[in-house]
Formats: sequence, structure tokens, C-alpha cells
Amino acid sequence: MVLELQKPRPIWQIMFSTHHTDVGLLYLIMSLGFLFLGGALALAIRAELFLPGSQIIGDAMTFNRMFTVHGTTLIFLFIIPFASAVGNYFVPIMVRYKDMAYPKLNAIAFWLIPPAGALIWLGFADFTWYATPPYSIISAPGPAADMWIFGLKILGISSILGSINFVVTIMRCKHPDMSLGQVPLLAWSFLTSSLIILVAMPTFAAALLMLLTDRLGVSGFFNPAMGGDPIAYAHLFWFTFHPEVYVLVIPAIGMMYEIIPRFSRKPIHSYQSGITAFVLLSIVGFSSWAHHMYATGMSFTEKTVFMVGTLAAVPASALHVFNFVATMWNSRIRFSTPMMWAIGGIALFFSAGAGGVANAAMPLDFTTHDTYWVVGHFHLFVMGTIAFGSIGYLYYMYPYVTGRMYNETMGKVHFVMSFIGTVMVFFTQHVLGLYGMPRRIYDYPPIPEWITMNQIASIGAMIIGVSMAIFLANMIYSAGKGKPANIEDPFGVGGRYYYPFEAKNPHH
Amino acid sequence: MKGVIGLLAVLAVLVVIPVAEYAFAAGDEPGEYLDRRVVIWNLFFRMMTIAFVVGAVVSGTIIWQVWRFRESHPKAKPTPYEGTDW
Amino acid sequence: MAHSAWPEWIYVGVVIALMCWVGAEAWEAERLVEHYPEDAHVIKVTGQQWFWTFEHEDGTKEIGELHVETGKAYKFEVTSKDVNHSFNIHDYVVLMDAIPGRVNHVWFAPDKAGEHDIQCREYCGLIHYNMRGKLIVEDPSS
Repeated sequence: MVLELQKPRPIWQIMFSTHHTDVGLLYLIMSLGFLFLGGALALAIRAELFLPGSQIIGDAMTFNRMFTVHGTTLIFLFIIPFASAVGNYFVPIMVRYKDMAYPKLNAIAFWLIPPAGALIWLGFADFTWYATPPYSIISAPGPAADMWIFGLKILGISSILGSINFVVTIMRCKHPDMSLGQVPLLAWSFLTSSLIILVAMPTFAAALLMLLTDRLGVSGFFNPAMGGDPIAYAHLFWFTFHPEVYVLVIPAIGMMYEIIPRFSRKPIHSYQSGITAFVLLSIVGFSSWAHHMYATGMSFTEKTVFMVGTLAAVPASALHVFNFVATMWNSRIRFSTPMMWAIGGIALFFSAGAGGVANAAMPLDFTTHDTYWVVGHFHLFVMGTIAFGSIGYLYYMYPYVTGRMYNETMGKVHFVMSFIGTVMVFFTQHVLGLYGMPRRIYDYPPIPEWITMNQIASIGAMIIGVSMAIFLANMIYSAGKGKPANIEDPFGVGGRYYYPFEAKNPHH
Repeated sequence: MKGVIGLLAVLAVLVVIPVAEYAFAAGDEPGEYLDRRVVIWNLFFRMMTIAFVVGAVVSGTIIWQVWRFRESHPKAKPTPYEGTDW
Repeated sequence: MAHSAWPEWIYVGVVIALMCWVGAEAWEAERLVEHYPEDAHVIKVTGQQWFWTFEHEDGTKEIGELHVETGKAYKFEVTSKDVNHSFNIHDYVVLMDAIPGRVNHVWFAPDKAGEHDIQCREYCGLIHYNMRGKLIVEDPSS
């Protein structure tokens, strides 16, 4: 399993395997595939917005479908499966167990995703990743909308099965000599994020069913014409998907907890505060969902409660930053590619968080809500923090997966270009939002400031696009032709890796 | 570190008190309508002032660390853990 | 590993203090902007795919354009006929979702004659991008 390309197996052996590294490899390849598909949509969207008027996308409906599928793909088909890939590879090793607790369930959880992805991509729905009723009930064209609903339903089941597996593997299957307080932080991040999924996801699953029956016309939960309330959907949706934000970010932070001490040649500053912050975040994350809904006519009291709940999540996130900074203090840092991604991710994590605090402050919602400010803000999280941590970790686990080293120069070029591009796109989008440009628009009036900033953002996006092409070339080329890695210490920084050097090639 | 905290505390006090006074005074004058643009954008720029100060401290710290603790720095020295199986 | 914990506690304290400050400031500002003037003129705003309708207190209706006068306060009663919209006059920092079955409130007091854009800020379908209107602020005619 480690040296897949050096000891090739027929592909069906990997596909039908239930071994955790095989499933991890499947997750990895599929999530990267969707990363490039979703990224291509992003480039098309940015190209369209380069100038007012119609550029490369013929009509508004196609554009609306594209940003919907872009968001759905990158969140549900890239970030979450990528985290599952890392978890599959490393969690059993970190808790010193031979496999995931339920290997067959693990394979099922993976194999639910490709059909779901197919439903989403073949349907190409247009009602945004938020599927807001009543639009999604009375106005969104089918069968795309229904296919999206079924796709998300399947993805929800998949992530619940995956979460059960992670929780049981960590809580019940860890080595008897190992207490929970000795489980590495990356595994802790999977424990906490899986628990969040288990608590949060059923709510959305219920909302999706109601949305479906509403679309079929047999119920009117969210349809005002039948006595329903669209705001109820908003509550159910955000009760799942605000905590889901932490589901996305916590594993990425966990990956940084693996990378940063490694390349600082020092253990993490405070293991305890890392765990505390994860657990706190997973609890406090449930107290802030309605901050997405300030403008829906909530009362002053409601808004205040959810503002306080949102701000309460900040100290926990800030603890991670402190931990990283303290770990790098008095260390001797080797700037291999993974470390550069991790440090870039922390820097952008701060900016994203600061923007989030501004969003949480109730009256500022009048200026920022549903503008490009919000787009810039959450992209700083998902791209700047989560994707940076994930891509850094991909470079970090690359020798373990392929037995070869990636090209270091290309990796660094990839990082520098992506970092510049990310700053150009998403910082500019914050300002664009302050000028009042709404999100999810196909065309915009020729206001000079809007044009300039859209162009800066589009150029930034193209830079990211080029860097991703370099990344893809590096991954593919190095997998076959890269230098063989010294699997016991591929980065030459010493210490104990969670790489099972002795691992064989199990088939089952 | 202490200096920074002191600075932040002073800044916070300097900003909070006048603003609170202004805010409580506004809106109470008869016949005058509050200008929501002023209230909201002032709040925004005050928060951005703090955010950029904190951001400068945080990213300044990270940039300095990255420069100082790189392995090619003349004063770089091995950490106590190097060579052990930590 | 032995390390002193007090810098971390101070750091957390500073973060918490900053968040308290943010919360207090936001609370105060929100309290101010949610205080509706009693003599505000009511304008009923209705969003539908993909235009805005305005109804003044005296029953006059306008579509896509809204005429108001300086020196007066206006209270918008925002609702929608079909799907969710969001009524937005960015220059006056006015934003409120238009949701079918609900009436949401927001107010403002224009202070200078001029023209401003009205737009929809919540995704509402095909022509969401062009669900725009004009706010025309005039000096009182008297």
C-alpha cells in the first residue's frame, strides 16, 4: 500500500479493498479530481466577471448553475473527502490499530460519494449551495434541483458513516496502552469534527427531506403559500452548516499540528491547549448558527444572543494560533513545501477570523451581508486556511503514499503563486463587498471601482489556476519519476513520524 | 508581549470612551434623525483599526519568527529535541 | 514539556477582552439603528421576480423607482410576493430581507438630494443580477 506505484496491483484490487490506506487512496484521488473540477468552475466564474456584460458564459442560468456546483463540489466533494483521506491514512496508525474499526462501513462510506457527485454534476442545479426556499421549492428547475437534493442526502449519509467509524476507531480501538490524552492532535481533530457531524448532520438531513416533499407539492413546511416558513429552513440549514464550518476547519488545523512541530523540530507547545481548543470549538460552534440570518428580520435579542455565541468561538480559534506561534519560537525551521503551506494557512486564518468577527457584529451586517465581503471572508477560510492546510499535508504525506519525493521547487512555486493569488482574489473581494457588490450575480453595472476590483480578483484567480496546473504536473510526474524517498525521514528533520515504515501490502 | 498588551489596552480605552459617549448622546436630540450611515460605518472603521493593529502584531510576529528561526539564520541552533525520538 | 502558561492566559484574556469590546460596540450601534423614529413615513416595499414595488402612505405606487424627500424619516415594510429577496440601498446602508409571508422593518432618513442604486442582495433566480431600482431623493417641494 505504501509503494503503490512501485509494486503495482490491478486497479480493481484497490477499488474493492476495505483496507484503510486503500480507501484513503481512493478518497485522495477522488477529492483531488473534484478539486480541479470545482476550481475550473471558479476560473470560469472569475473570467465571466472580469468585465461587465456577458463574457464567456452565455446566460445567467448557466452562471447560476456554475457557482452552485462550484460551492457544492469544493465543500462536499473536495474538502470533506480530502479530510477523510488523511483520516483514513493516519488515524488508525496514530491510535495503533490495524485498520479502521469497521472496514466495510468505511468502504461503503467512500463508495456513496461518487454517485452523489455524479448526481450533483449531471443535475447542475442553480439554487446556490444553500438551496434557499421558497426559491428552491417553487422556482428552481428540476430535475437538477431534485438530483442535488438526493446527492446531498447521500453525502450526508456518507459523512455520518465515516464519522461513526472515526469516533469508534479512536475511542474504542486505540491501543490499550494509550490513553485518550496521548492520542495525537490530528486524530483528536478527527474525533471532535466527527462528533460535530454526528450532532449536526441529522438536522440537515431532515430539512432536505422536507425540501423534497415541498418540491413534490405534498407538504408545505417551507412554502409560505401553504402556510410554511422559509426561515425555518434557514435555521435548520445553518444549525448544520455553521458547525460544519468547524468540521471543515478542525481537521485542517489538525494537519497543521502535524506539520508545524515536525518542521520546527520541536514538539507542539501545548498539547493540552490544542485539545481544549478543539473541544471548546466543537461545543461553542453550535451556538452561532443564526448569525447567517441577521437580515431576515430577527429581533434585537435574538441577534444579540447569536452575536455573543459567535464571538465566543474566537478565543478557542485564537488558542491554535498561539500554539503554532509558540511552537515555532526558538525552533529551527526547515522550509519544506508543507511548512510553507501551513504557515501561509495560519496567516490567512487570522484574516479570515478577523473578517468573521466583523460579520458577527450585528449592524455591520447591513454593509457586508450577501456582498462580496462574505464571499471573500469564507473563501479565506476554505481556500486560505483549509485548502492551504490540506495541500500542505498532501505534500507531507506524498512520500508516504507514493514512496517518492515531489519536486521541491515546483512545490514552492505552487505555494508562492497560490498565496499571492489568494490574497489578490479574496482580500480584493472584501473591499468589493464594501462597495456594495452583491454575491451571486452574473453581471454588474459598469461602476469603475467594481470593474477594477473584479479585474484584480480575476487576475489573482488565474494565478491560482496556473499554480494548480503546476501542482497537478508535479503530483503526476513525481509519482512515477520522482526521487525515491527515504521513507523513515523523507524531509530530513528527524523525530518520529506517523509513517508505518514496516507496512506491508495487505489485501482484504 | 507586555508592551503590546499595554498598547492594546490603552487603544481600547481611547477608542471606547469617546465612542460610547457619542453613541449615547446621539438619537436623543429631538427633531433630528440619526444617520445610520455614520453609526454603522464608524463602527466598521473602529473595528478595522483594531483588527489591523492586531493583524499587524500577529503577522509581524509570524514574519519575524519565520525570518529568525529559519535554519539558515546565522544564530540558528539545534532544538533540544533534535536527534531524539520525540 | 515544561513551559510557563501565563503568556497563554494573558493572550486569551486579551482576546476575550477584545471580543467583549466588539460585542458591546456592536450592541450599542444596533440599539441605535433599530430605534425607529415615531414620525417616520411608512413605505411598503414588495419584492418579486425581478423588480421592486413601492407603496407610499398616501397610496401612490411606484415600480422600480422610489421618490423620497430629504429631512424626513422613512420606515420600510419589506415583504415579498414569491421568493426571498433582499432590499438594499447600499449608499444609505439599508438592507432587509424580503421574505414571503413576513413583513420586516428597516428605516432611514435621507439627508441630501441625489440618486442612489437599489438592488437585490439575496439570490432570487435568473435575473437576480439585474433586479435593480433607483432611489431618488428630492428636496421638499414646499
